[in-house]
Amino acid sequence: MSASLQRYLSAGVLTIWGVVLAHFYISGRLASYLHPSFHALTGISGVVLLLLAVGVLFLPAEDEQCSGPCCEHLHGQRRPARSVLAALILVVPLLAAALVSPDQFGAVVATNRGLIDRISDLPGYKPYVEPPLPTAADSQEGEGTQGAGESYLPKNEAGQLKAQTVDLIFAAEEPTMRADFEGKEVELIGQFMPTRAGNPEGDRFNLVRMFVICCAADARPVAITVQTDKAQPIAEMSWVRVRGKAAFPVESGRRVALVLAESVMPCDPPEETFIY
Amino acid sequence: MENSWFTLSFTDFSYAFLSVLLEGVPFILIGTLLSGIIDEFLPSRVMVRLLPRNAFLGICLSGAMGLVFPMCECGVVPVIRRLISKGLPVSNAIAYMLAAPIVNPIVILSTYAAFRGQNATEFTMLRLGVGYLVSVIVALAVHNLPLRGVLRRGVLLEASKSHGAERAPGFSIRIGSALRAAVTDFLDVMVFFVLGVAVSAMFSTAVNQEVIMPLALNDWIATSSMMVFAAILSLCSTSDAFIAATFIAFPGVAKLAFLIFGPMFDLKLLFIYSAVFRKRFVAGLAVGLFILIGLICVRLRILGL
Repeated sequence: MSASLQRYLSAGVLTIWGVVLAHFYISGRLASYLHPSFHALTGISGVVLLLLAVGVLFLPAEDEQCSGPCCEHLHGQRRPARSVLAALILVVPLLAAALVSPDQFGAVVATNRGLIDRISDLPGYKPYVEPPLPTAADSQEGEGTQGAGESYLPKNEAGQLKAQTVDLIFAAEEPTMRADFEGKEVELIGQFMPTRAGNPEGDRFNLVRMFVICCAADARPVAITVQTDKAQPIAEMSWVRVRGKAAFPVESGRRVALVLAESVMPCDPPEETFIY
Repeated sequence: MENSWFTLSFTDFSYAFLSVLLEGVPFILIGTLLSGIIDEFLPSRVMVRLLPRNAFLGICLSGAMGLVFPMCECGVVPVIRRLISKGLPVSNAIAYMLAAPIVNPIVILSTYAAFRGQNATEFTMLRLGVGYLVSVIVALAVHNLPLRGVLRRGVLLEASKSHGAERAPGFSIRIGSALRAAVTDFLDVMVFFVLGVAVSAMFSTAVNQEVIMPLALNDWIATSSMMVFAAILSLCSTSDAFIAATFIAFPGVAKLAFLIFGPMFDLKLLFIYSAVFRKRFVAGLAVGLFILIGLICVRLRILGL
């Protein structure tokens, strides 16, 4: 009885985990949780868990294989109540989290982790190194690309540069990149977060994107400031599309990224909610 | 929203909780499948025959095995459990378990990449060297402890009644046995992993990180604090260097302590270790590692870190 219960519980737990992992992979929800390099591994694990569940159900039980007096296996050591409790610990939190999780962080985590608005605070940041001066040969090879600058950056249908929050905070501290954006029309998508300090007019907000290394648990909110002509009645951490002009004024003794917004419109989350 | 030091949001918690589970499960699964294969196909006592007879050399060799068989801190526990049951001395298993998540090629590369521009070579070498040294010291200490004070009763029984490879049934039956052993290990370890991830997800989402900044002003406090953060955040050793590198305000020795203590002991490992070791031993291991790594890292201040 105990062995059968153990077998069905194990198969049930493995099936639920396998289904959850496979569901996250197939539905694309995984993109909101993990760096792309982990996606395939998680999908494969879901399939392996389902196969293991089938194996547990249909392979003969250990005690059916070796019932002789020489057997030294440790059969039936686990009490049924303990097995049920373990199964509940494995299944209930997983299903509850999968049902409740909104697939993105709210304002509490963004506040608790602190908004990153300078590039040196970004994980994996490497200081900018000035490129070497071009030689005569480089000048000949590079002919035709001189002054191309921001033409390498993608543009929307209105001709505005499609930028990320992280591009602008890089540009704030690196002159070469700043020249590509300063005074140019830009379009950004991010999450809306009101600016609470140093915003007496209420006309500024933070545009936030989560920067991730491995998974959402290590996400760090990267933010730039957006200035509008009036306070925006938008829900915290909802997704907005901002169009406006990029500026890099010096505030409180350092250069910051600022978008002087012409429009702020609610929008759907992008396919890739993280930046890497 | 007020900036209190602790604000728990259940939706944020569930999101962080789920993301770590989804990331960690594949690695635990790989570890447990490997442990099942070891259980069924690795002949008992072969480990003893392969390792040097001298205990010190055996421990030194085991601490470096991560360079050949790299494992993360989650996956290594079921593997060492099976290796112990196959006759690997517990001290050697501990050396491998503590060192493998640090002394492995993936972590060496990720540490170097994360600290580029911040003494990357020194940091990587020190992480590797101190991590290895600590693993060997702890393993030598464990070598002198009685097994019943280290291993849980069930694991001790497995170790004393090593089984599986002495029998010679058909290949398909042995594959079935290997899968069953893998499933048993997977479910055992996952219970502890789920509990550990729940605790770390709560701390990593609910605690306001502004409160930690004053801790960076003193080497001793900063080093101790960074080890506590490493334990709470429960990051994977392949990626923790990228997080450590962002603690700009903290001294280098504190970041080094974070990078060495975290892969050896954190909240999820506290629970996972409990699947193999006695609670008292796990508590002693935590305290010992905390003191040893703290002392070594603060002393390294003389290197100008």
